[in-house]
Amino acid sequence: MDNGNDNRSKENKPGFKWDPLRFIAKNPDETLKKVDGRLDKLEKECFGDKKDKNSNLKNIFDVYGVTRRDFLKWTAFLTSALMLPYVFKPRVARAANILTRTPFIWLDMADCMGNTEAFIRTAHPTPAEIILNYVSVNYMESIMAPAGYQAETRRTETVKKYKGKYILVVEGAIPTGMNGKFLTIGAKGGTGLEIAKETAKNAGVIIAVGNCASYGGIPAAEPNPTSAVGLSSVTNRRVINIPACPANPVNVVGTLVEYILIGKAPQIDGLGRPLWAYSGRLHDNCYRRGHFEAGEYVRHWGDDGAKKQYCLYMMGCKGPFTWNNCTTAEYNQDISFPMRAGHGCIGCSQPAFWDRMTPFEKPNADAKIIIPGIEATVDEFGVGLLGVAGAGIAAHAIYTGVKKNKNKENRKDKEKKESKKTAPKNGSDDSK
Amino acid sequence: MENKENENKYGEIKLVHRMTVIKRIIHWVFFLAIINNIITGFYIAYPFLFFGKTPAQADSLSSGILSSGETYQAFIMTWMRYFHFMGAVLIDVIFIVWLYLAFFSWKEPLYKSFIPFGDKMVEAWKMIKHYFTLKNKPETGRYQDSLNAIIFTIFHLLILLQMLTGLQMYVASFTGTSAVGAWWPWLMHFSTDWTLVVFGGLTGVTLVHLFIMWLIIIFIAYHIYIEVWRSIMWKEGDILIPFGGYKYLRNKSETE
Repeated sequence: MDNGNDNRSKENKPGFKWDPLRFIAKNPDETLKKVDGRLDKLEKECFGDKKDKNSNLKNIFDVYGVTRRDFLKWTAFLTSALMLPYVFKPRVARAANILTRTPFIWLDMADCMGNTEAFIRTAHPTPAEIILNYVSVNYMESIMAPAGYQAETRRTETVKKYKGKYILVVEGAIPTGMNGKFLTIGAKGGTGLEIAKETAKNAGVIIAVGNCASYGGIPAAEPNPTSAVGLSSVTNRRVINIPACPANPVNVVGTLVEYILIGKAPQIDGLGRPLWAYSGRLHDNCYRRGHFEAGEYVRHWGDDGAKKQYCLYMMGCKGPFTWNNCTTAEYNQDISFPMRAGHGCIGCSQPAFWDRMTPFEKPNADAKIIIPGIEATVDEFGVGLLGVAGAGIAAHAIYTGVKKNKNKENRKDKEKKESKKTAPKNGSDDSK
Repeated sequence: MENKENENKYGEIKLVHRMTVIKRIIHWVFFLAIINNIITGFYIAYPFLFFGKTPAQADSLSSGILSSGETYQAFIMTWMRYFHFMGAVLIDVIFIVWLYLAFFSWKEPLYKSFIPFGDKMVEAWKMIKHYFTLKNKPETGRYQDSLNAIIFTIFHLLILLQMLTGLQMYVASFTGTSAVGAWWPWLMHFSTDWTLVVFGGLTGVTLVHLFIMWLIIIFIAYHIYIEVWRSIMWKEGDILIPFGGYKYLRNKSETE
């Protein structure tokens, strides 16, 4: 299933060429036929002769009081978030249905499990969170019933039984120091490194959820005592990164739905993130951008500017350095994101954000530069250097002045001596 | 009689042509563009003018004066960025012209002075020694002296780095295509994406951009000082080069 990705890189030059039909086929009708054929096949595989194909989602959503209408609205939202044409709306719904029956392994590595919490603890979950709750997880430490050896067996059996078909979601950084011994999981005490490698080998699609799994995140921040790395550094399979802290459930479900629709990994950017979600810069899509252009900034928490929702650039918003769809897909049941809540972005979907985006509440120009023995902002350092250079120039100017005077005196002395000796001769020369 | 006396005192005076019209234009456009980009760049890095409807919102030094009215009337950051980009375009074009002239100029190809082989390094070292001893002034020749040529080359490398980091920040707001086609963001990604790896992400690139600005400011201070110093010490009118294109050449030096 992964082989289909390789021809993408050729089609993508130069830069990236966005194809709303995902390069499935040139002819739109053919594309739809292919997608439908794939969905039919998957539905047969997942539901077989069971009769619940049509009542599956209904049963799930009834529990949460989500009406059919709400679900249809959500499919429209997800279709547009995925940048798919409108005709894909019913197909997105079918894919969501299939997604709940696709074998699924969720591994927790070194992190706070915030991504899990983000969808299982939602007070008023949207369909995205509900679907994530109801996917048929064969292995997920935080919610599974089996424990100990049983749990281990469950994982290894899933890997064997659904070879090349199961979805692998990894959450958390993978410590590689001391041969991975910083993280041991389960009754057999296998290291996170081993488990991640084994499980990734036979997965149908691999998704790294959250900044830790994508790029190492906070466990990998300076000085990184456990040598933690992101998932893509320990496996040679293609990893789809869904960074952010926590990852937006919409992006996780959207990527999975897209995988089910087209059977290929999505188009990704240079940092391994799906283009449909991470191609926009927060700063460019922010609703406060107008105030940035107007020079209207919040300068203290709670000042007049803050009340008027001015730009948070001076309060250290890292939106200009961050690519994500927070401003359009939004968090917390799709109602808010940091800038709307009145705090700047902290750049949590960029690599090494804990090192590179700090200080979070000061402009980037106030960041301390990393030169051994020097703790200063670039401007302080620059002014210091300019001061040294200025002092050097002044010293040289004074030195030149003193030296020149001395030379002049010396020369005058010499000239006097010489003129005493040679004066008569010169005079006689002139007279000639 | 008087001429002869002067000749004895100051040596023989000859004219040397140093900068063609094109080079003089380049020099001053470069000067204006860099000053413009330093000021606007400071503003973009750390907005120091605030706009607001009430003095409380605009409590900068110039509060009240800059009270702007509605948001849409005060696009100060837009203007700062606009002029910054305009200056950047000028600098980019000038850099390319400079690079061409450095190798293919009919009048004075720079590479003849700066390529650090043979006696060029020795000449540069002699000039440094002259700055500190005021003795043994190296002879003024047809071309730039080696020390200046080397320092100007380093300065232009700084400008190049400034261009690349700047374009990396500029391309950040592109989403795959542009008004002139997809090749333009592709070209910028192709030529500047390495800065992300080397300097640690876009924030690092920004800080490097800021830091190189300080190095350029230091260069400007050095450059003005040393040209004034030469004019005073050598009495060969070095400061006139970027204005008239000519300087004088004397076969006698008072510092000796």
